[in-house]
Parts: sequence; structure tokens; C-alpha cells
Amino acid sequence: MSKIKDQTMSSKVSWESTIGLLDSVKVDEVGVKERVSSLSTRSIKRESKLQALNYVVSMCDLTTLEGEDTEGKIHQMTAKAIKPDPTDDDVPSAAAVCVYPSLVSTAKEIIGTSNVKVASVSSYFPSGQVPIESKLLDTQYAIDEGADEIDIVINRKAFFEGDYRKVFDEIVALKEACGDKHLKTILEVGELRTYDNIKKASLIALGAGSDFIKTSTGKISNGSSKEACLVMAKAVYEFKESTGFSAGIKVAGGIRNSKDAIRYLIIIKEELGEEWLSPNFFRFGASSLLDDVLRQIRKLKTNAYQSSYYFPRG
Amino acid sequence: MTEIKKTYKNYVDGKYVRSESGKTYTIDLKSESYELPLTSKKDLRDAVTSSKKGFDSWKGLSQYNKTQIIYRLSEMLEGNRDSYVDLLLEHGLTKSTANKDIDNAINTLVWYAGLADKWEQLTGNLNPVDGEFFNISHQEPLGIVFTLNSDEVSIDKLVRSFLPALSTGCSVINLSEKNAVLSLKLAEDVNNSDIPAGTLNLLSGDFSKVYDDVSRHVEINAFASYKKLNKEILKTINENASTSVKRIFHLPSEDGLSSILPFIETKTVWHPKGR
Amino acid sequence: MDKWEYSESIESDSIVSIQSKYGHFIDGKFSTPNSKKYLKTVSPSTEEVLASISIGNKNDVDSAVNSAKEGLKTWSKTAPSERAKYLYKLARLIQERSREFAVLESMDGGKPIKESRDFDLPQVAANFFYFAGWADKLDISWGTKEMKPYGVVGQIIPWNFPLLMLAWKVAPALATGNTVVLKPAETTPLTALLFAELCEEIGLPKGVFNLVTGDGTTGSELVNHEGISKIAFTGSTSVGKYIQNAVGERDIGLTLELGGKAANIVYNDAALDQAVEGVVNGIFFNQGHVCCAGSRLLLQEDIHDEFINKLEKRMQTLRVGNPLDKNTDIGAINSKEQLEKITSLVNEGVNDGGELFQIECDLPSSGYWFRPSLFTNVQPSYNIAREEIFGPVLTTLTFRTPEEAVEIANNTEYGLSAGVWTEKGSKILWTADRLDAGVIWANTFNKFDPSSPFGGYKESGFGREGGRHGLLSYLKVQS
Repeated sequence: MSKIKDQTMSSKVSWESTIGLLDSVKVDEVGVKERVSSLSTRSIKRESKLQALNYVVSMCDLTTLEGEDTEGKIHQMTAKAIKPDPTDDDVPSAAAVCVYPSLVSTAKEIIGTSNVKVASVSSYFPSGQVPIESKLLDTQYAIDEGADEIDIVINRKAFFEGDYRKVFDEIVALKEACGDKHLKTILEVGELRTYDNIKKASLIALGAGSDFIKTSTGKISNGSSKEACLVMAKAVYEFKESTGFSAGIKVAGGIRNSKDAIRYLIIIKEELGEEWLSPNFFRFGASSLLDDVLRQIRKLKTNAYQSSYYFPRG
Repeated sequence: MTEIKKTYKNYVDGKYVRSESGKTYTIDLKSESYELPLTSKKDLRDAVTSSKKGFDSWKGLSQYNKTQIIYRLSEMLEGNRDSYVDLLLEHGLTKSTANKDIDNAINTLVWYAGLADKWEQLTGNLNPVDGEFFNISHQEPLGIVFTLNSDEVSIDKLVRSFLPALSTGCSVINLSEKNAVLSLKLAEDVNNSDIPAGTLNLLSGDFSKVYDDVSRHVEINAFASYKKLNKEILKTINENASTSVKRIFHLPSEDGLSSILPFIETKTVWHPKGR
Repeated sequence: MDKWEYSESIESDSIVSIQSKYGHFIDGKFSTPNSKKYLKTVSPSTEEVLASISIGNKNDVDSAVNSAKEGLKTWSKTAPSERAKYLYKLARLIQERSREFAVLESMDGGKPIKESRDFDLPQVAANFFYFAGWADKLDISWGTKEMKPYGVVGQIIPWNFPLLMLAWKVAPALATGNTVVLKPAETTPLTALLFAELCEEIGLPKGVFNLVTGDGTTGSELVNHEGISKIAFTGSTSVGKYIQNAVGERDIGLTLELGGKAANIVYNDAALDQAVEGVVNGIFFNQGHVCCAGSRLLLQEDIHDEFINKLEKRMQTLRVGNPLDKNTDIGAINSKEQLEKITSLVNEGVNDGGELFQIECDLPSSGYWFRPSLFTNVQPSYNIAREEIFGPVLTTLTFRTPEEAVEIANNTEYGLSAGVWTEKGSKILWTADRLDAGVIWANTFNKFDPSSPFGGYKESGFGREGGRHGLLSYLKVQS
């Protein structure tokens, strides 16, 4: 790994400290599920619902990650991210659009002066099964194209082989390449399966310098889960306690409706607190979620259920 | 009748002891009289102290071990059956009744010996609770139990007044009144068995002299009477017992699984099932 | 953006109809009480009077016991499988009307609707379902046919889980062939009265279930009634002792489910975040009005600061307020009297030298409220570490070794429940073996199930409720 430079330059804490945090990782699955199920009974109505839905829009990384993506598709989606509901000025812009590296410059063009960020997946998303040199090239390309944020995947092969050091070093190297660009590290919780694994991977990613940890690529069937989000929130809290650094969380994969999205917000509010309820610290990676949220917002304002054809295609 | 007075002592903490009060009472049998300790309040307290130790020793043995020890006691009764039969005849039993009684007593010992390492399988079970939990109820011995033997002349009755509690792991203080000669005779075999000192204390005396203390003593966890008590005594016992929520059993079952139920506590343990 | 607050989400109380005045339920119908004395049941969250309840006197209890004796004639001739069907019907009807029951329970008792809705009512129905199925299997339950019902059973239940405690008592008693005279707590009689209506509705034979409302004097009449063959009581240890005393020379059955001061032991190798949740659930569930509440937190010394830090942060997210708000975590204290007791014990703890943390939150202007509280710096000798507070107050003690944890845990006259938190399996079993407690929750807390026996060691009472073992409380061995 000659390409990996002195890790202390970009990792939040040393490998030694990170491994120290891993030592005490113990998560009880049934307890996690109980907590999530109890938080899921929160009843969000009226003003607080509207506020929550606006949060969700502002936290959305509107995403398309398909082989069939074209410049035309990116145009449509980016326009929608800037102005999700053209008839309602109170609806905020989405946080970002998330695309493959080859489409970053296209998105960047449309964004213009708006606040919407362009995020790019890289490091041979979604599997990451290439040498670090290739991951670095992939990432560098996305940055050169103008990406503001980089979503990478952790090396699950190394993780399952027990080579946590390699997982850590790769993230350090990729963060190094990112410089001041935001680094979101995807754990792929559906592959990690156990909550012990999810918490360990979270702490490795945080220790190595990630700005965000993210649940899933969205490319596997069991993408995000509220339980995984809760465990990641616990890791973020613990990391803040030991380093003072507040990291963000991005949930992606299978979040399709407003009700579900609001339940994630509740977890974040009650586990991490109000300051995390901002696009700087919490994001939804989604494609179809936004439409449902827009529909719900208009329903709250008009008291009539809406059809999706009222909202422009993204 | 020629007065040949035999003296028996209480069996406490693995030793034969007189009553510290020096008081005795007499049981007249057909050809002999027996002088027996009249258990005092102090004697009772000493027995409790010994029983605490005895409970720990008994608890420290495996169930398999307890089974063997109780079985050993049955072997000793078998070995000494003639002397037991003689003593029962002295009490006025017919030869056939006496023989039957010792046979019954031996069978009872063998039955409880075999129960000592099995009762938990009969009384405990997994509970099919909702959700991702493992949940099991199992039982533990109650602790120190005071039992009152019936007045019926019977070694079988005698052993049934302590075996249910003993076989579950309790230590027992057993008081016999009119049957004390049988009880203190049995003490010799108990002493020669491997039952730890203090696990089974055998006393003689008059329950009406000690019931107030028995029911007041907080370290006695349960009281079981295999003899019918009069209302006045029962009233005082319940009143006293209520100060420490002591378990009181009047005429409990002497037979089968239900005989041990008074002497066990159910402990239920929950644990989640997760990854 | 502004802080995200949850808007009020109030469960409507229009579903319940409360009468201004209630009689007793005797001989299959509501009757005019002999006693002309009434007490008012108030909503502890608003102090509003909900209804007048008759204080049953000797004659009322007499009528109820006589009715139960008559009922026994029918009930003992009813085929076990038919008894089962009555209980199944009750279970179904409770499920159908569970929202109504839940709202009423929260109004009368002050507990959060999310608990009455998601915990109490589902458990109530589950208990009737579970015990219904035992009615025709009693002969195989303990492998003997020698066990028979007691006859007329007197049951006295507390105010913390009013309808659930009714279910815990009534379902097994009826399944085993007994008939019942029940006295609900004086501050929470309304769901029991509604339950009586269901008994009428399903055509439960007359006299099988009887209900006499009232206060301690009514309970005392019931306990001392010569026609009762068995008393089942859940409540304070002091009243339990009174009852055991009052039983006196009467050779009747008795089960007591009394107080507790449970230790919740957290070892340094526990899954700490879930342990925090378990500790919070252990003491703040139902405002801490739980006999098995994990009211003594035993922390291994080396994790004390980290754990307390996490715990205080978590406590601060608890939402105290209107029990009918679906987002309320902590409702009202059940009565003025209980609030005074909690307040006085907490003051004593502070005077003794305990360090008190209470969450910051607004409390409603009327009603009885107490902020979730945590004591640190507590010595085992302090009263707050020994006495059952029965409120949302947690007391912390520390230990160094497993032996010490067990010693502290058992250093109490109570023995109802205990909690153990460690990811080391053998340490759970080692600890559970040594704890003198009837229910041990390992890596969880405050879990209940109709199939799981519940009841205490030592002065927490005797007998079990729930499960196969719960049947024994209502069957006596015929020798």
C-alpha cells in the first residue's frame, strides 16, 4: 500500500485509538429492536409533521445510480433537486444529487449557483472489489469533475477477513484524496448483518476520518434499517464523546415513504439531539421518497390526498 | 413394670446433645421408658444456627450426591430393620404392621432418594413467551424448614415429615413429640450416613413450648406441620409468621410430587435471543 | 429551522362513557350497595372527579361472598371445556374493546396511553387466552388429578396495573374452577367495573365473578370473611403482612405478591447502550409504580461515570405529561398520597447526602407529577436504597466484584426481581443462581408474559402468578 500516505494527516484518531474503541463494542440485538419499536410509536401530527417533511426534503440526496443514466436523466433530477415543488416556495431544495462520477460535471452545470451539492459515489461502488490504487483514481476523477461530496464503500472483503486495519487504511487514503470534500462512508449494513459488525464498521469509518457514515449502497435488497441507523447513531455519539468530532449519518436503501423517513428523524432527534436535524449531519439517500414527501406536504396544506402527476419527474 | 430408663439426646449439628435447659420428658413404651430432651427455645436457636450451616453444606453437594446419601440411609434402615421392628413392637404395633411400616419407610427413602436428582425436571419448564426471549422457570430449595412430625407411631410417617424438604435441598429441623423415640433412634443412622452436620436436625419435645419461637424466628424460612394443630396455635403461628412473611404449611401432602411443592421457590429467568 | 417539537397527539376520550355513580357487581348484575358511603375516583392527571364509587361494607361483602358460593354450584358443574369458552369469549371481547379500556385505564390511573394501549391491554387479553386453555387440561398440568379448586376466592388488587392485575387473578382462578370476589384498588376501580359489564355481556353464570369496590375497610371485610377459602393479594408488604396475620386460625389458601427493591446489576462488560435502555425501562415504566421495578442500579465501579452520563442524557429525553398524549413516556403519579410519599423519601435521600439528578421539563399545572429522578453517591444504609419508593426514582450503588454485586443485591428483605447485564453468558448464570429473586431479567427488564411465572422470594410474598406454576395458586392438593 505504497499509495497510502501518513494516516495521521487525515484520520480523526490513530489506528490504535480506533482499535481501542472496537474493544468495547457490544450490542444486544433484541434491545436495539425494542428501542426502535418503541420510538416507532411516536405520533407525529400537524405542525410537527409538516416541519419533519420539510426536513426530509432538505436532507434528501436525490439519487440515480444506474447504468442507463444519461445526461438527460441527470438534468431532470437536478432540476427537481433545486426546486422540488415548483408551485410551493416554502418547500426547500434537496441537499444534494448523488450520481456516478461520469455524470458529476453534468449535474454540476445544472446546479449553478444553487446550494444543492453534487455527490458522487466512487471507490468502485457498489462492491469496492478493486485495489486501493483504482479506488483512489476513481475518487480523484470524481473530485476533478467537481464533486462536492464523495460516497465510498468500505472494504467488506477485508472486514470479513478480519483485516480491520486494511479497512481503516483505505478510508484514510481516500479521505486524504478528498481533501476538504465531504466523505461519506458506506458500511453496507445488510452485508455486515450483525449489530456488533455495524458498530465496529461505524467506529472504523469514523476513526479513519469519514465525515458521514452511510447505511447502504441501495444496491442490495436489505439496504437501510432503523435498527442499523440507531446503532450507527450510538457510534457517532460515542465517537463524539471520545474525540469531540460530530459526524453525520446518511441512510439509504429502501426508504420509500414519509412515515418511514419521519421514524428515522425521530431516532436521530432522540438519540443524538436537535443539532443533528440538519443536512449537515443527516441525509436520506433516495429516489422515490421525495415524491411521497411532497405529496404529504401538499396534503397537509390542502387537506386532500395528492396524485404524483402533480409533481415534476425527477 | 421395671423402670429401666433409657436416655436419648437431641441430634443437632451432627452431635447428640442434651437440652441446655436440662429438662426432659418421658415416653413409656411397653417394657422400657425413655427419657428425652424437652427442646427449649435456646435449643431451637442452636438448631437454627446449625441448620444454616447445614443448608450451605447440603447445597454444596450435587443432586447425584444427595441421591446417593439418601439411598445410603435407606440401606442403613434395611441393615437395622430388626431393631426398628423391635422398637415398633415396643410401641405396641403388631408384628405385621411393624414390618410393613419399616418396609414402607425404606421404600419412601428409596423413592425420595431417586427424586432428589429429578424433581427439577418435573417442576421446572421452559415458558413459551412472546418475543425473542429464552424463558425458563426452575426451582430452588426454600432454605431452613422446621417440620413437626405427626403423632402416629410410624417410621414411614417420620421420614415423610422431613424427606420432601430434604430431598429438594432444604435443611430440616424436625420435631417429634410422642414419636420422639423413633426419631432419635433414627438419628443414629442419620449420623452414620453422609448427611452433612446440620442438614437434618432431629429434636424431641413439646411443640406447644416452642411454636411461638419457631414461628417468630426469621431465619426459619418455612414451617410445615404434619400434625393437625389446634386453632389457637395456628392463629399465633400465622400472626408471628406474618412479620417476616414466613411460609406456613398445615398438613401438606406427604405423597408424590405435590409433597415437595411447599419447599421450593420458583425462579424464572429471561434472556433475549439475538445475534 | 426551529427546534422540532412533537405536536400534541391526544387519544380521544370520547370512546369511554363513565357513569356518575357505581354499585357493586354481585350475582351477575350491578346492584345498589348496602353501604351508603361513597368515595370519588379522580383522574390523577387533572384532579377531575371521574365517578363516585361505593365503599363496600360488611353486608356488601357478605352478599358478594354468598353470590360466589351460589355461583360455585353452577361453575363446578360447568364442563371444563365450557369454562374455557367463557374465558376465550372474555379475551375476545377485551381485544375488541381494548381502546376503550386503555383510555379508561389512563384516565383513572394516570399511566401513559402508549403503555395502557401497547402493554396493559394486550397482556390482559393474552392472560385470558392463556388460562382459558388450561381449564380443560388441569389433570395433566401437574401430572395429578388430586388437585381441586379452593372454592370462593377473595382477590385484592393494586392500582398500578388495575386491569392487568385483575386478569392475572381472575383468569387463572376461573380457569381452575373457583369463583371470585374481587376488590379493585380504591383509586382505580373503573376498568374493573367495565370488565364486570363484559361478564354480564357474555352471560358468565351468575355469581362466578363478583366485584365489590371500596377502600381498605372493604378489603379487610373480604379478608376476614368466613366464606372465603383462599385470598390472593397483590400490594404492599405491610398490607400483605396484615392479611397473613388476619388469616389466623382459618386454614385457607393464601398467595401474596408484595413489594420489591430490585437490584439491576450492570457489569462492565455489558452492552451498555441497551443496558441504559433496560435501566430506564426498569425504573420509569409506569412512573415506577411497579413492584418489580429495578429501583436499585448496581454499577460496577469502573463504568460508573460513563454509564451515569449516558443514563442522564437518555433520561432527559423522557416526555412527562398528559397520559392521553400518545407521545407521553411518563404519566401522572397515581394519587396525591403516593406523590407525598415519593416526595418525602426523595427529600430524605437528599438530606442523607445523596446527589439528586432530575430531568428538566415542564409539568402540568394540575394533577400529580414527579420528575424522573436519579440518585448517585448513595450509601446502602440510606433509606432510599432500602425502602420501596414506588415512583420514578432510581438509586445508584456501586460494586467491585460479582460477589459484592450479589451481596448488595440480596441485602434486602425483598426478593421479587433482579436484573443482570453482561455479555458473558457464564456470568449471567453464575449471578442468576445466587440472586434471591423470583424473576431475573438478564440483558432485559420488565418483561411479562402470561406463560411466565411471577412472584417473590422472602418478604416479597409467596405463590406464583402466570404460567403452569400460576395454576398452583388456585388448586389445593387433596390428600
